[in-house]
Formats: sequence, C-alpha cells, structure tokens
Amino acid sequence: MGSFRLGGMTLGSLFKKPETLLYPLEEKPAPAGLKGHIVNDVDRCILCGICARVCPAGALAVDKKARTWAIDPFRCVQCASCVAACPKDCLSMDPSATPVAAKRFEVVREVPEQPKEAAAA
Amino acid sequence: MGKATVIPFGPQHPVLPEPLHLDLVVEDETVVDCMPQIGFVHRGLEKLVETRDYNQFIYIAERICGICAMGHSLGYAETVEELMGVEVPKRAEYLRVIWHELSRIHSHLLWLGLAADAFGFESMFMHCWRLRERILDIFEKTTGGRVILSVVKVGGVARDIDAGQMSEILATLEGIKSDYGALMRTLLTDSSIKNRTVGVGAIGYDDAVALSMVGPFARASAVNYDVRSFGRGAYGDLADFQPILDNQGDCYARVKVRCLEVLQSIDIIAELAAKMPAGDIAVPVKGSPADGAQASNVLEQPRGECYYYARGNGTKHLDRMRMRTPTSQNLAGMATALKGCDLADVNMIILTIDPCISCTER
Amino acid sequence: MGFRQDFEPLALSELHGFAESRRAEGWRYVQTLAVLTEEGVDLVYSFMKDGHLANSVVSIGRDAVVPSISDLFLAAFVFENEIHDLFGVTVEGIAIDFEGSFYQLANEAPMTILSPEQAAAREKARKVAAAKAAKAAKEAGGASDAPAAEGGLEAKLAAMDPEKAAKVRAAMEAKAKKEAAAKDAELEERLKAMDPEKAAKVRAAMEAKAKRAVSAEEGGE
Repeated sequence: MGSFRLGGMTLGSLFKKPETLLYPLEEKPAPAGLKGHIVNDVDRCILCGICARVCPAGALAVDKKARTWAIDPFRCVQCASCVAACPKDCLSMDPSATPVAAKRFEVVREVPEQPKEAAAA
Repeated sequence: MGKATVIPFGPQHPVLPEPLHLDLVVEDETVVDCMPQIGFVHRGLEKLVETRDYNQFIYIAERICGICAMGHSLGYAETVEELMGVEVPKRAEYLRVIWHELSRIHSHLLWLGLAADAFGFESMFMHCWRLRERILDIFEKTTGGRVILSVVKVGGVARDIDAGQMSEILATLEGIKSDYGALMRTLLTDSSIKNRTVGVGAIGYDDAVALSMVGPFARASAVNYDVRSFGRGAYGDLADFQPILDNQGDCYARVKVRCLEVLQSIDIIAELAAKMPAGDIAVPVKGSPADGAQASNVLEQPRGECYYYARGNGTKHLDRMRMRTPTSQNLAGMATALKGCDLADVNMIILTIDPCISCTER
Repeated sequence: MGFRQDFEPLALSELHGFAESRRAEGWRYVQTLAVLTEEGVDLVYSFMKDGHLANSVVSIGRDAVVPSISDLFLAAFVFENEIHDLFGVTVEGIAIDFEGSFYQLANEAPMTILSPEQAAAREKARKVAAAKAAKAAKEAGGASDAPAAEGGLEAKLAAMDPEKAAKVRAAMEAKAKKEAAAKDAELEERLKAMDPEKAAKVRAAMEAKAKRAVSAEEGGE
C-alpha cells in the first residue's frame, strides 16, 4: 500500500501563491530583452538594404528609390540578425510581441531625406 | 497460442509527443513483433542549405525541434566553426554550455512529465511542467525567447549573462531543487510507478552495444558513453564528470538515469558559473568555407549523441549539412525492446527512449 | 580521453569487409550519410572508438549498388532507407526494407534535384575557382609589369566574381562618360566667349573630327 508521497507538496500548495496567473486579468510583465517585434528609427536609416539581405525569413523589403522600409511582422522569426547587422544601429527589438490579427499586413515606413548639414556634421 | 493480430499504433496517440506509427503484431496481449514507420513530419530541412547561407541556416537548424532547439543550434555552430577554423572565445563556450545544460534540465523535466502522464499520473505531469516553467522564464529573461532561443551564432553567442542574471539563475535552480526532490522521491519509490516500470522493456548490455544505442537509453543499460566526458569546450574545465549509469536496463532504470541527470546538470551549471572567465562573447566570422572542406561534430543532447556533418563548396551556402539525431539511432533499440512485452506496456517503452521524431525526420 | 576526427577514403568493394573489421575490433557505429557531388554521390560512414571519430568516405556513381551493413549493425537500417529515398542510392539487403516508402515524398530522390539557387551557387563557385586557377597560372608564367595598371585591373576584374566585375566595369564607363561630358561643357563655355565667326569655324572643325572618329570606329568594328 503506497503512501501519499506528494502529500507535502499538495498540502503546501493550498497555502502558497499559485504558479499560474489569472490571465487576462493579470498579465506577466514582458522581460526587457524579450524578442518581440522589430522597430526602425527611420531618422537614422540610410536604406542600405543590409537588413533585407541578412534576414533568413525574407521579411524585410527596402526600396531605395521609393525611400521605404517595409517589414512583414508575420514572416519575422524574431532572430535579431537585422538588429546585429544594421550599420547605423537604427533597428531594435521592442519587447512586445506582434498582436494576433485576423489579416496579414505589412508595416511600411517612409524614410525621410537625410538633411545634408546633419550628415556632414 | 493465439492468433496473431496487427494493431496499428499512432501516428495520433495521446501518449506520443510526436507522430510515429507502429504496426504491432500481437498474440493474446503480447507483442510479438513490431514494424516502426516514420515520415509524417519530414520537412526536408536539410535541402534548405541551398537557399540560406551558413549564417542564416542556424535559425532553421534551431527549428528542427522545439525541445532540442538549443542543442541543434549549438551543434550546427560548432560544426561550421570547425569547418572554417574559427575559435570561439572561452566566455562564449561557457555561456553556450550553461544554456545547453539548462536546456537539458527542461527537456528531462518535460520528459518526466510525459512519462508520468503515460501511465495516468497527471498531477505529477503538472508538477514537473510547473517546475519547467521556471526554467523557461530563465530562458526568456536571458535570451529573449522561451523555446526557440536564437542566441547562438557562428562565432560565439549573441547575448551575455551578467552577474545579476547569473545569481538569479542559480537562485531559481536552488528553489527548484527542493520541489524536485519530492517529485524524484515519488517517481523512484512509489509502488504504483514501480509496478509499471520495473522489469518492463529490459535491454541487456550486449544488446545495447550491438544495436548502437545512445543517450540515457543506453546508459540505463550500463553502456558508458557520454560525449560530455570528452571534455570539449567548457566541459573540459569541469572538476570531475562521470556519466550516470545503471545496469538494470528496464524502464525504471531509464527514469532513474534521467532524474539524476537533472541534478547533475544543476551542479554543472553552478560549477561553471563560479568559474566563468571574462572576455568577448563572439568573434567576427568572415569569408566562406573552402571548397571540398568537411567537418563532423558530436554533441550530447538530452536524448543522446547527435552527429553533425558539414561540407563547403567555396560559396556562402554550405554544400551539405546533416544532423543525425539520437532518436534515429535508437529506433532499432526501440523495436527490439518492444518484442515480448505486454500491449499495455507499449506506451511506456516507446516513451522511455524519449522519441523526438521531428528531429529524426527533419 | 580526447576527441579527434578524421576523414579517410574507402572503396565501395571494401565496404562490407571494412564494417566487419570495425565490428570485430569493438568500434561503435555512428551513422551513414550521403552527399551529392558533381560525379555522383559520396557516402560517409562513421564509427567511433575511445574518442576517435573515424569517417570513411565512399565515392560512388548514381547507379552503383551498395551492400547493406544492417546485418552487422541493425541501427543502420534507418539511414540506408533514408539515403535510398532521398538520394536514389540502391542499397541491397537492408534488414528492415521499406522499399521507398520510408518517407512519403512527392518527388523521387529530392536531394538530387538541384534548385535554381543551388545551381547558380555551384556555377559561381566554378567560375571563381577557374578565375583563381587562371590567375595562379598567369603568375606562375611570370606576366610582365609594363601593362601593370591596365593588365592588373583586368586581372583583378577577372578574379572578382562576375556580378561585381560587371558593376565595376559599368562604374568605370560611367566615369569616363562623365569626364567626356565635362570636357564638352568646358569647350562650349570657351566657344561662347570667343568671336562668333571663329566660333563657327571651330564648331565645323569639331563636327568633321567627330564624323571621322565615328566612321573609324565603325570601320574598326
């Protein structure tokens, strides 16, 4: 006849804080450094296209003539290769994940012209 | 002597983590023969080396399997570094091993939960996975991902663990130890579990060697083989590493070996954290692998020894990348263990080889 | 116990005997894999003993028949079925033979089908190797230094990969055109400042020169 070996743990769990969260009433705070989604600081972007070449999922598209930088957030696998490869450090990972959506969409950002004095300075 | 019937097992079965099909030839509740069949999750990932260069392919290597994700990215990176003659800094080696041992703990906890669920002990399953969640939280804090870590790259690692995070990791592991001790005592001494596992699916030492088995599956049959004892990378700096062996060779022995390996991994992490050197975490890797260069590599994943092979062709795309996972090596052993057992023990025996079929088929 | 690995070639006819000797000496069987090459398929058999990982490479043609080693090492049946399904290699005598339905594939021997990217990559690698070999031969032959600037540039272009070489050439042509345009603009400025009659004479002379240059080029073509 076996004894109730998990008795100690079971009794203790009546009084301890539960391991689970009452989601969606409580949400776990996302730790800093969580790979959520890619954000581009367009004021520093030079449209070199290195990020689009490095991406293993083909999620980025850079159009130099039209001055746009586009990302398909649903193709992105959050590997952060583009963040590491960007020569101007304008890409970064924001710790909040892309929310669930009913339709796929692309995020297109217009990259403003770099003012010549600022570039020279 | 009854009539032989063929019972199909899988590919969808509540006890299987991944799809595997078995045709069991059964005579009066005893399995006489078994024919395994895989191929349900063949994704042809090895062919993707043609379209992804060697830096991008690491993200595909990670996604071969969710449980062994860290192991595959580590093995791939080590193989390409061997191919191109890159030497990784010491701190990066230590960080890789710490994450890999954490991955081993999470994989064994996952497996212990599944094994308990296989014979109906669902609350044990919940407790094991509750402890596993704490390991996944460590992964999230240090690497940014819970299951697919994306932290190893060719030439080193992408992120560092600072002193504060390291002490948090060690504190979490200490906190797991007391709860885990209670679970382990239950798994190893409870009579209902012993009734289901002792003497079931036994494989002797000679059979284990003849069938070339690897991993805890083989170590439970007293085969003394663990890649970590070669002392490569940060494993060489461990004071003393002895693989955990057991000579019964039945399901109970396999459960025991995996339980003890979790404790061994916690000790390894504590030892490496104390000895961690300062330095760079990556070296830049330029150029491409030489034409016709070949390299092979072995790594001790939670399920056993995993073999990697890479061949270059002078361009940034590898010519061939091959991962031979431990489960494909153990399939022959599993087929042998199933012969002569009761039909009710089939789940337990299949689970004790820790099948990771998505790794097997890539 | 250290770890070391090496690659040794092996002939197909010796394969089964080799596997037998490995088994007799107590080596552990690790794996079998296949690699697609220009000539056919390379099979790599790996065995391990005491930390020494010995890989043996067997080069065969696409339609060679390989003896199975699953009678000696049962664990090999998984890999032999796999290389039969993915590479179309015929393996004879597999212990548990699935005869082509190990993986349910849409195409026969999919790893031997070269995708356009892989074909392009191999072409590029071949060109780079050929250019490198040509450069090495030229250096060995002792090319003179006199046309160093032009010759050196040409050699550099040949050694670079074709895309980049085309880009460099295009850049050079654009630069030359821009210089010519700048020269023309300067001449126009000077003509405007000159006396109108003299300007007309200079323009006529220039047009005649241009016509002669064009006919010479066409004659040369």
